[in-house]
Amino acid sequence: MIIPMSRVRVLGPRGQLDPVLTALQDTGLVHLTEPRSVELLQPVTPSEAEARRARQLRALVREVDGLPFASKPDAARGSSALGDARSETREFARWARSAGRARRALARLDRSIHERELERAELARYEQFVAAFRGLLPNGGGRMQSYHLILRGDDAQAPARLRTALAGVLGEHFALETADLPSGERAALLLVPSTEAARIERLLAQSGVHELPLPAGVESGTLRTALPALAQRRDALDHELAGLAQQRHELLAAEEPELMRARAAAQDRLLELGAREQAGITPRSFVVEGWVPTAAKDRLTRALAKQFGAEIVAEEVSQEEWRGEEAPVVLTNPRLFRPFETLTRMLPLPRYGSIDPTPFMAVFFPMFFGLIMGDAGYGLALAVLAGVLHARSRSGSPVRAVAEILGPCAAFAIAFGIGFGELFGDLGRRWFGMRPLVLDREKALLPFLGLAVAIGFVHVVLGLVLGVINASRRHPRQAVGRGAALAMVLFVAVALLAGLQVLPRSFFTPAVIALLLAFPVMVIAEGIIAPIEFLSTLSNMLSYARIMALGTASVMMAVVANRLAGSFGGVVVGVLFGLLFHLVNFALGIFAPTIHGLRLHYVEFFGKFYSPGGQQYHPLGHWRPSQSEQSLSAKGTP
Amino acid sequence: MNAFWIVLAAAAAISIPALATGWAQSRIGPAVAASLAEKPELSTTAILLVAIPETMAILGFVVAVLILYRGT
Repeated sequence: MIIPMSRVRVLGPRGQLDPVLTALQDTGLVHLTEPRSVELLQPVTPSEAEARRARQLRALVREVDGLPFASKPDAARGSSALGDARSETREFARWARSAGRARRALARLDRSIHERELERAELARYEQFVAAFRGLLPNGGGRMQSYHLILRGDDAQAPARLRTALAGVLGEHFALETADLPSGERAALLLVPSTEAARIERLLAQSGVHELPLPAGVESGTLRTALPALAQRRDALDHELAGLAQQRHELLAAEEPELMRARAAAQDRLLELGAREQAGITPRSFVVEGWVPTAAKDRLTRALAKQFGAEIVAEEVSQEEWRGEEAPVVLTNPRLFRPFETLTRMLPLPRYGSIDPTPFMAVFFPMFFGLIMGDAGYGLALAVLAGVLHARSRSGSPVRAVAEILGPCAAFAIAFGIGFGELFGDLGRRWFGMRPLVLDREKALLPFLGLAVAIGFVHVVLGLVLGVINASRRHPRQAVGRGAALAMVLFVAVALLAGLQVLPRSFFTPAVIALLLAFPVMVIAEGIIAPIEFLSTLSNMLSYARIMALGTASVMMAVVANRLAGSFGGVVVGVLFGLLFHLVNFALGIFAPTIHGLRLHYVEFFGKFYSPGGQQYHPLGHWRPSQSEQSLSAKGTP
Repeated sequence: MNAFWIVLAAAAAISIPALATGWAQSRIGPAVAASLAEKPELSTTAILLVAIPETMAILGFVVAVLILYRGT
């Protein structure tokens, strides 16, 4: 349901505006809104100092957000307990300096780590090179000169071209070996007589082939003689990298608690500065207006009276002065239904004063899901999945909500599975002697179709009833039109049932006469568009046939999986193939009922009564994790 | 011969709407993907838009079942 709200107005001397806003922030109850336009009221324009302060606070938030702390920014909550304005300014300045110092120190450490990682990667290339030509590398000091070359891996002809060019210069007096490296490049070792070194270097330069230079510190020797030094350097780099990572970890751990507190306090002050812009002032007084849950109104007035006495007046604005659409919306539902608020919130919130569809969704969505899945085995697997998701998620997280929605869906799937006598398709019947208690979805397609359309009829009629209730609160004429449409749907149903002799045939004529009488009432009350909407209502009921279609497809897939498993020669291959097919069917069995269950609600059911356009209740309070930068800017933070 | 036409009619009842659904979704899908890239908050609308043409295939299936049941 949508909880009742009251509009309150707080008045007092202008000098008390900031303390009152701080008090309101402490209560965390008031969703601020701009006061009703009174000629004397002026908006609060932030001074140059306040605007500068806001910029500094935002800079502090950005600075802290740029630091890679392990915990998210939601680790700390805002607090107003920072002392007077002067000590608060000092504190924020100190935090800003700390954040800057931490950022610079971290940048130095990251630079050092990056340089060492680059050097280490370079060493790894030499290791690959040496591994490729171990045994061929000359010891140095002989008559042969070695060149270590790296060729592009994607140019397959490069070694052949190089070999041809070398043969043109040296004849047969050279050795060229190539090997593919794990990096995708191609390593080449070239051995030539020392006397030809100058010519070869010119040739290599003209060919655009680059020699792999030896790392700093070992350039003077050959690669073979440099190997021990390289290994030593690699070990030293590993040691240095471990030390730098430790320093980085310690720096972040030392700065994190204080800077996260700083971030929360800065966010808090930004919220308060934003709230000032919602106040109206005169030369001597201020007015603040906002929305509070009616049940919490007395708590607010008591808190203000306790802190400010008679100096501040908090009064309720009479309902004649505001329209229901202006009030923010708070959904509140029993614990069992609450996870389904997530599905309601996927659409714009319902308008204040209209009907919250969450309880209906909590009943019908799992039911539709269960009817489509309708298999005790798949239901059990879904229950296990829901349990795992529940155990591995935090309270209030989207994953937890999904787990809590899947739970009832699994329960309905198991219940309908028992009713349809299905356990992984027809395995339950073949192995455990299960029998359909309600209907056999494999064979009784027409009864299943009738059941689906009957459920659609009940669901749509419920939507129409809610539509009449919704309209009666604001537009009585519209309520009459919707009531007439509802009556016509019922008369059509009675006439059809009488025609099919489910009801006595004597009902047919009165139902048709009533239908003809209700038609003009509907058109007069709702206009010429009403007949079209009436026809679309009837087609909406047929849309529920998808429950039967998807349910039948689900059971057929499961049966096919079992038959395919049995048709393979080997037991193991058959079982594996059957499991794979069931897995695919299970995935489809989650996806299809979810999409189509949502569609049946959002299009067929909500279309009859839902009034979107409600605004979320955002009371002024201390900064909380869920309040993003976006919501801060949306509130007009200077 | 009669059975042939019944089966053919049932096949047409499911296959033509299924092709139409596929064509509609092929047009809706890219448009929805482009919209989501710019406005991720439209995901609910996107799901509905993609799911709406499936009604044709589903009703085609229902009609096919009815044809088979009535004809045999």
